[in-house]
Parts: sequence; structure tokens; C-alpha cells
Amino acid sequence: MPKILVIEDDADMVAALRMPLEANGYEIVAAATGEEGLKKAKESKPDLIILDVMMETATAGFQVSLELRSRDPKSEYADCRDIPILMLTAIHTTTSLRFGPDEAYLPVDDFVDKPIDPDVLVEKMERLLERSK
Amino acid sequence: MEKLEQVLDRLVAGVQTALRGDGAAVRLLNGDGRHLVLGAASGLAAGREGTERVPLEGCPLDEEALAGAPVVVVDARDDKRAACVPEQCRAAVCVSLVHSGEPVGTLHVYGKKPGSFDEDDVASLVALGDLGAAAIASARAANAREKLEASKAHFVRVTTHELRSPVTVAQSLVRGVLKGYAGELSEKQMDVFTRVAGRLDHLENLVNDLLSLAAGRAPELAEKEGPVMLRASVGRAVLLFQPRADDKGVSLRQETCCEGLVIWGTEEGLDSVFSNLVSNAVKYTPSGGRVLVTMRATGDEVVVQVADTGIGIPAEAIPHLFEEFYRAPNAKAADEAGTGLGLAIVRDLVERYSGTIDVDSEEGKGSTFTVTLPIYRFDG
Repeated sequence: MPKILVIEDDADMVAALRMPLEANGYEIVAAATGEEGLKKAKESKPDLIILDVMMETATAGFQVSLELRSRDPKSEYADCRDIPILMLTAIHTTTSLRFGPDEAYLPVDDFVDKPIDPDVLVEKMERLLERSK
Repeated sequence: MEKLEQVLDRLVAGVQTALRGDGAAVRLLNGDGRHLVLGAASGLAAGREGTERVPLEGCPLDEEALAGAPVVVVDARDDKRAACVPEQCRAAVCVSLVHSGEPVGTLHVYGKKPGSFDEDDVASLVALGDLGAAAIASARAANAREKLEASKAHFVRVTTHELRSPVTVAQSLVRGVLKGYAGELSEKQMDVFTRVAGRLDHLENLVNDLLSLAAGRAPELAEKEGPVMLRASVGRAVLLFQPRADDKGVSLRQETCCEGLVIWGTEEGLDSVFSNLVSNAVKYTPSGGRVLVTMRATGDEVVVQVADTGIGIPAEAIPHLFEEFYRAPNAKAADEAGTGLGLAIVRDLVERYSGTIDVDSEEGKGSTFTVTLPIYRFDG
């Protein structure tokens, strides 16, 4: 059963994510802050991380992704570097911010726009999990 | 619209030239009406007066002029009122600036020679003072309007960001339920949740449109402006709504031209203009109808037209079409989900890029929206 770390500060959004994730048999680990998310990423070694872009401050999500993908060999998150990250964003459609590993803008593997379409979410997760096998 | 400083600079320069004076100054009354602040100065008056406010009692010339009649100083050396006259000048005339019965400030002209100004000069200064007072009042009003618009836009931006988050969370929850991830739904539950989802989608559209509207009015957006390829932007809008047109059985076609043509703006803004227009055309054109997007360059301008054979706009609705939240009655009847903000966003953006938008429409026959934008040339 793949383990999914959900880093999201809005408990209602976590509830919305739980529905399709549990229905698909994923194990869920939730973290409500960026700090807690980093700690749980290290401890629980998830198969995939769902990361909210706008936690606490507008940049907390970005910082978490940068920490997890740090190229510094001494980084305490070096073991987490290959865990796929799916970012939740409400701003992709309303800004020209670009996402994706190839573009060097933001080190995440894919993104899902809020409001979440559960089918799109599951499809993107499956693709990332398949790729990282 | 001219800024207040520009109006004042032009006023003193104009006064000095018209009256062949050696200097001129305008002083403005502050809010309490008891103090004067230098507005602008030219010639020998320039750089002489400080920018700090001075009490009216310390300026006998201004005080007297504000009491009614123009004050003429023939020779400053023999005149106790002439404390504020520049050192190298001997003659002065001071008139009050009054707009709609309210004193605004005072206007001064100075001459090096004693007796520089005659009765005609005084009459001219009075006339220039009247014009100046009107110009100052209008610049102040424009300033106040601009400030109000900016703070309104800021308020809308902040509140809608706050609104957007709970709406998207609620949408995500309801979508999960509707897709059966919270268990199987009865027909009745499905109906209820579908209605909730519809309302939430409408709310999301409204919030997004409000954000666009506020963003379009944000002064800081000008920094992001640059050359944008027009054809690509129009093409993206057509591409975006092609599936919807196909589903509906509406023919959506684009006649392209103007390759490499560039206008000054932002890509997002321009995309928003054409997406809104094409989306409306498809939305309000019934099955079997046509939407045609054309472009043509004429001299320094490019004209983009979005023409449809849709429901058209009633004549009485056309004057209100670009107002925020206005929706023509037949549009309301045809589509419940519209926000009435799309065309306000379009107009704001087009005007921001120094263009114009016009509409030609007949109810029941169709509408043509025409956007005219200046072509940007790299050589200036």
C-alpha cells in the first residue's frame, strides 16, 4: 500500500484529499506545517508527497520543496530527494508561475490546481508512483 | 489626465510668458485654509521660496488678494505688503485662485522694473487665475479618483484571495462526494450536491473575475508590461474554446494575418481580452451558428474583430455593457453562470494598452466586438 504524505495546513482540504486517497487504498500521513512535513518526510519515507503551495505564508510550500530537493550532499533530507512531489496550487491558473522539474523554476514533479478534481489527482499520483518504481 | 504638479508648472510658466514677467509663483491653500504652501515657481521666483507651509497672516499680499480684489505692487521698496516678492524684483501682481466659490490659492507674477504691470496685465492675470483654478480643481479630483480606484482594487484583491481559498476547498470536498469517493449517493443526494457544486463553481468564477478586474487596475502591473505577440494570443483564445464550440455545434473560425505583429501589454492581459470575447461569442451563439475571429493591420493600428451570429444585445443594454456586474437581460436568461465582469475586465485591459473597444449588435442577429490596439514597433 503506497504511503502518501499530505503536507497541507487546511484540515478541510485534507478531508477532501482523504476521500479519493482512502478509496484507492493509499495510506495517508498528514502534516499541517512545512516544518512538520519535512520531519515526517524524513521519518516515514513516503512514496509520494502532496504539498500545498500556500501554507502559512505564501512561500512555505516552495521552501519545503527546495529543502527536499536540495543538491547539498550534507542535507538532512538527502534520502528524500527522489520522492515524487505533487504540488497543490490555486495560483497556477491566475499567475504565470511555471512548475515542473524540467523548467528549473520549481522542483516539483507535477501540480494539481485547486479546486481539486479527485480523478485528476488520482491519475497524476498513479503516474508519478509508476514512474518512481 | 495631467498631474497636479504638471498643471502648476504649466500655469506659472504660462503666466510669466503671457505677462512678460521675470518670475511667477502659485501658492496653494492647505486644508485648514489658514496656511499657504508653494505649488510651483518660475523665473526669479524659482528656488527662492521654501516648500514648508506658511501662515496666511505672514503673507499680506496673498491675504489681501484672497479677501477679494487683485493686489498690485508698483514698487516693492515703497510697499510694506511686498515681503514675499523676490529680491531682484520690484513689481508684483497677486490674484486669488477661486474655483466654484472656494479659494484654492494665489497666483503671483513679478517684474524687475517698478510699475512693470498695467491694468490689462492685471485683467489677464485674473483670467489666467480662473483657468488655473479650474485646472487645479480638476487635477485634484483626478488624483483623488485614482487613489480611490487603487485602494478599491487593493481591497478587492485582498478580499478575493481570502474568499478564493474556502471556495476551492468546498469545491474539492463536494467534487469528492459527487464522484462517489464518500460512498454511493442516492438520486436525491446527487441532485442536491450537483446544485451545491454549481453554485460553488459560480462563486469561484466570480472570485476569479474579481481578481482579474482588480489585477488589471493594479498600478504595479505596468512594470510587467512588454511587447506581446498578438496573433499567438488570439490563437490561444480560439484554441481554448474550440472544444466547447464543437460540443455545442457552433462553427468557430479564425482568419489569421499579422504574423510577428507585436503590441505593448502583458501576455496574460491580452489572453484575458480575447478569451473573454471568444468565450462570450461561443456562449451566446446557439447551435448551428458561427463565430469568426478576424485581424487586420491598418497603419499604426491593428483591429481584431470577434463576430458571432448569436442572440445579440438589446439596444438599451449596449450603453451599460462594459459596466461591472451588468448583464443584458437576454444574456442572463441564456446563461445563469455569467458574472457580468468579463467585459469590464476586457475594457480595462484594452484601455490600459491604449486601445479601444466597440460593439455593434442587433438583438437576435448577432454581435461584433472590435478591439483596436496600437502596434508596437521596436524602433520606437
